[in-house]
Order: sequence, then C-alpha cells, then structure tokens
Amino acid sequence: MDSSNDEALDIIVTNVVATFRTRCHLNLRTIALEGTNVIYKPEVGKVLMKLRKPMITASIWSSGKIICTGATSEDESKLGARRLARSLQKLGFKVRFSDYKVVNVLAVCSMPFAVHLIDFTKNNRPIASYEPELHPAATYRIKNLKATVQVFSTGSLTVTGPNVQNVATAVEQVYPLLFECQKPLCN
Amino acid sequence: MAPLGLTCPDCSSPNIVEDDLYSQPQLVCEDCGSVVSEGALTSDRGEGTDVSYRLTTAVSKQPCVNQIKGLQRVKAICRILRLNSEIEELAETYYKQAYEHRNFINVSLQKKDALVGCCVLVSCRLRNWPITMGTVSCLLDTDPMLVGVIYQEMVKTLNIEPHSQACIADVLEAHCQEYKISSPHVPEELAEDTKDITKRAVALVELAADSWIVTGRRPLPIMMATIFLAWQSLNPTKLRLKYTLERFCQLAKVTKTKPALKRITEIKEMLCKLGQEIPWLRGVVTPDNAIQQVEYILKYRYALLRRALRTHEDALMDAQQPSCKDFQPGIQSEEPSSKVAGPSQTSWPAEQTTNKSFEEASESNTENNQQPGDEQVNLCSTGAQVSQDLEPNWGKRLLFAPPCVKHPKIRRMDKPALKDVTGEEEISDSEIDSYIRSPQEVRAFALAKMMLCSSDKH
Repeated sequence: MDSSNDEALDIIVTNVVATFRTRCHLNLRTIALEGTNVIYKPEVGKVLMKLRKPMITASIWSSGKIICTGATSEDESKLGARRLARSLQKLGFKVRFSDYKVVNVLAVCSMPFAVHLIDFTKNNRPIASYEPELHPAATYRIKNLKATVQVFSTGSLTVTGPNVQNVATAVEQVYPLLFECQKPLCN
Repeated sequence: MAPLGLTCPDCSSPNIVEDDLYSQPQLVCEDCGSVVSEGALTSDRGEGTDVSYRLTTAVSKQPCVNQIKGLQRVKAICRILRLNSEIEELAETYYKQAYEHRNFINVSLQKKDALVGCCVLVSCRLRNWPITMGTVSCLLDTDPMLVGVIYQEMVKTLNIEPHSQACIADVLEAHCQEYKISSPHVPEELAEDTKDITKRAVALVELAADSWIVTGRRPLPIMMATIFLAWQSLNPTKLRLKYTLERFCQLAKVTKTKPALKRITEIKEMLCKLGQEIPWLRGVVTPDNAIQQVEYILKYRYALLRRALRTHEDALMDAQQPSCKDFQPGIQSEEPSSKVAGPSQTSWPAEQTTNKSFEEASESNTENNQQPGDEQVNLCSTGAQVSQDLEPNWGKRLLFAPPCVKHPKIRRMDKPALKDVTGEEEISDSEIDSYIRSPQEVRAFALAKMMLCSSDKH
C-alpha cells in the first residue's frame, strides 16, 4: 500500500494475526485424526492446522478459540479464517463464525537512506529508545496509534500495529523524523 | 542432667532430664513424662521476625530482608565502580521505589538481583557517567539480556527518561584501562602509554562513526578493534603489524570478541578510501599498508573526507555522462541499464550531496533529449521498471554507507500475495474436502498409529 506522500514508499505487509471463535467445543483428537495438514500438540492443548491457499497457520483450542497467522493482507486473513471454519464444519462441529478480529499487523518498509540512530534518539526522546548492546534498532512507540516502529541504521523499518491503516500512518509520521537524521550530526 | 534436689510433682521421681522442645529449654520427668518447668520460647534476635513478611499486618512495614540485602548490594556495586555519593544515593532511591512497586515486588530473586544492577545503570546514565550494560551484567554475573529486559521494564515503571547511551568515546577511556599494554607488563617494543592509545582510539572511533560503522553495532567489538589499530599505528613496526588480534588480546590479557575482526576489516576499508586521497602518496593504499598512514589520515581527516566525497561524486558523474549521451531517438536495441533509470528515480526526496549534483546533471540531460518523442519516455519507464525489479542498491552509489547495505544478503523472492481477495468470497466444497481425510484414510491412519505405538512398546 502506498502512502499519500509524493514519494512511493513500499510498505510490504508480511504478517497478519487474527482471532475468531467457533462458539462450540472442539474435539482436538477428532480434528487431528480426520484433518490433513494438522499437528496435534497435546502437551499445550492445541492443534496447528495449516492451509495451503492462502498460506495460513491456525492454532485451534478446544474452547473454540482460533488464532490465524501468516496471511499477507487483512482480506486474505478473513478468507483463510472462513475457510478454516468451513473445514471444521465439515468435520462435524456446529461451528458459527463469530468475533473475527485482526489483532496484529506486521509490515516492513525501506528508506532509501541510512539513519543515524543516536541522533534520531536524541531528537525524539522519550518516544524513541535505543540500546545498541541489546538490539541494533531504535524503537519508536506511537501511543495514539498503538504502533511500534523499529528503525535500523540501514534505513529499514519494521512496523507493528493493530491494522494496516495504522501501520501506514505510523510510517508517514516517522518518515520526516528519519529524514532529518540521515547524516551524522558532527559532519 | 537436672539440677539436684528436683522431683517430679506428679510421680515424685528424681529422674528429671533436660529435654528441649525445638528451641524451648524444658525439664521433663523421665518416668511419667510430665513437664516440670520450661524456659523462654524466644531469645532476643536482631533482624527478622517470626512472622513472615508477607503475612505481617504491621502498620508501618519494615523493609524485608531481601530488600535490605539488595540495598547493600547496590552500595557494594557503587563502591566497586568508585561512583560518587550522588549516584549511589540516587541508585538506592530508585531501588527502593522499584522494589516496592507492584511490578517488581513478586518477581524472582534472580530478577531482583538484576534490578540492583539496573538501578546503578540508570543513575549513572542520568549523571552522565559512562558505563555499559556489559560491565553491569559482568559484575552481577547474570545474562545481559535479562539485565536489558529488567532495565527497560524499570525505566517504563518509574517513568525515568535516561539520556541515551553515553557515546563510545567516554566509555573507551575506561575500557582502555583494562588493557595491560604499558611498559611494566610487556616488552619495550610492544609497550604503549595508555593515554596515547586512548587518544588515538577515540579519534578512530569518531571517524568510524562518520562512516556508518558504529551505528547499530555493539560497542565492545568496536572499542577492541580501535584499540588494536591504535596500538599498531602508534609504532607501525614489522613486529607489531604481524600481530594478529588474538595474540594482541593474549598480550593485553583481555578476552577477544569475534565481531572485532569484522570491525577491523571495515575500519581498514574506510582507511583505504581516505588514504587514497592523501596527495603525497604514490601507489595504491591497501588494507595492509593503511596502518602506516593512520597518523596522517587522523590529522587531516576532515579534508580527506571532503576530497573523498568529491572524488566519488565526480566518478559517478563521469559514469552517468556517456550513458546519457546515448539517449538518442530511435534506439530500440539499447538495453536500459540501471544507471539510465537514475533520472526517473528523482522522485526520491533524498538530498544527499553525492546524489544532488548527479541528479541535476542527469535532469538537464533528459530535458535536452525529451523532444525526440515518446520512445524516449518508454525507454525511460521500462528502464525504471527493470531497475526496480533489480532493486537498485542506493548504498552502492554512496561512498560511505552501513556495511549491510553495501553488501546486502541475497533475498529469495517471496511468493506474491493473492490479488483481488475480498475476504467474503464463496468457498466451494471441493476446496474444503482437500483438508479432510476420507473415511478410508482415517482408518488407515488410525491403524498405522496403533501399529507404531505397539512397536514402540516392544
């Protein structure tokens, strides 16, 4: 999705995490026996089911709560979730697709310039924090968007947020701050 | 044995023995078992109470034993690091606050130990005293990651705004003291005064920071690399140049870190680029003979940096000029190269000085060539597409860029995302059937599982 700036910054969504409920108890053993592409984990109490198209992995709990990960867009995630609910229906459970919610979106973006992290952190205290001994990226948390942007010195960004719109807004907000810190201040 | 003359009041037997019940001294009759007399249950004990801290209902809570011990550890660490009293008091205050906060009161003892170090760390940061997390985790003998996690939690909980990491130059001075490389410890040819090494290493670190070697990296390997190169360059004899990093670390009695080798290579590369610009040098500067030039490079570093950037700009412009001249009408056989695509990428707002004149020059060229018609535009746009597919590496165009941009890892192409998905489409039965086993498959699977289980048991 492009931002509304003049320059075209490619924000690539790499992962969408969504949850939904089936409103009925699910027998994990039945699912493990009669479903293909499933991994049963009795020690944790869940079943992992993988769909091929869209490429999605779902964690299914016996209470009927399901978490879907691996989609590359919100619509794909919804399609995958519905497909999953349909398969469970076919297996014989009285499934009702309800409470579908996208919980987390992960996107990456690349700036065409390097960012001097120490200057970036100095200019944006306390929203930005940078500990080179712990992690090579500076973390910028935007409270009102509930988004976290991790800025690497190579100009790559990793953005996580509750939905794709917030993620795009977060990149737009952070771009001018990064642009200022292209070169080390002492030069 | 009981004192003489005592008899049991019940059975009048003289056999009375001392038999302590837990910590209470008692005199007991041996024959009938009755207690003749008993002493005090408790004695005066200094610290701690008989009721555990969690269950106490005292109105004014005294600090619990672990908190007292923690405060003592804070004091001890401050004394070891020879911090001034201001930092010590600040650390103690923060420890008290954090310990009693609900986020930390119930954590494990290991985390409370890490909290001790974090309080010292935060106080040093606030008073601009250079200290690294590595030092703190070394003193506490804990995992540095744990210290990091607790540090971030603590800063968030107590709403502290620490200044960011002290710049490496300050930490370097303290770090240099560790290296036993001065006269009494090593032979004369290899000895160097710590102050000289520190000064030169600081200059090297600043130069490395200007060329994107420092940002995003851990400080310790960089410090080790610069100290090693400083030591070599202060007296670049054959003997010293032959020394590898490993031998140097053995000599100076420090533990080598592996990334330091990579940093040394990167710094040497940077020195080569700058060494090329020295006017009175003839011949190529290679990583091997760059060390001898370090003194001049550091002395004239700003001038050399400017010259290097200008040379790089000129080189780029020269490379650009001939390909723009080829931009003649009617050329379909010409393959659009990634450099031709440069002008179409002027949409980047980047105003890097290396690219600015490059863009201006190429823009004027394209304006001259735009009359010949649409073929030009097509060539330009297809060029843009080709180059975007190849993902032009802007890092390669710059003289100094972060090393992983200059040498990017080759990424495999990810699967393209499903297009035109709305999320509300119809799902056909046949699709779903592919995810469900048929009854025969189920039976076969169950049988196989049973056979595997039984064979496991045997």
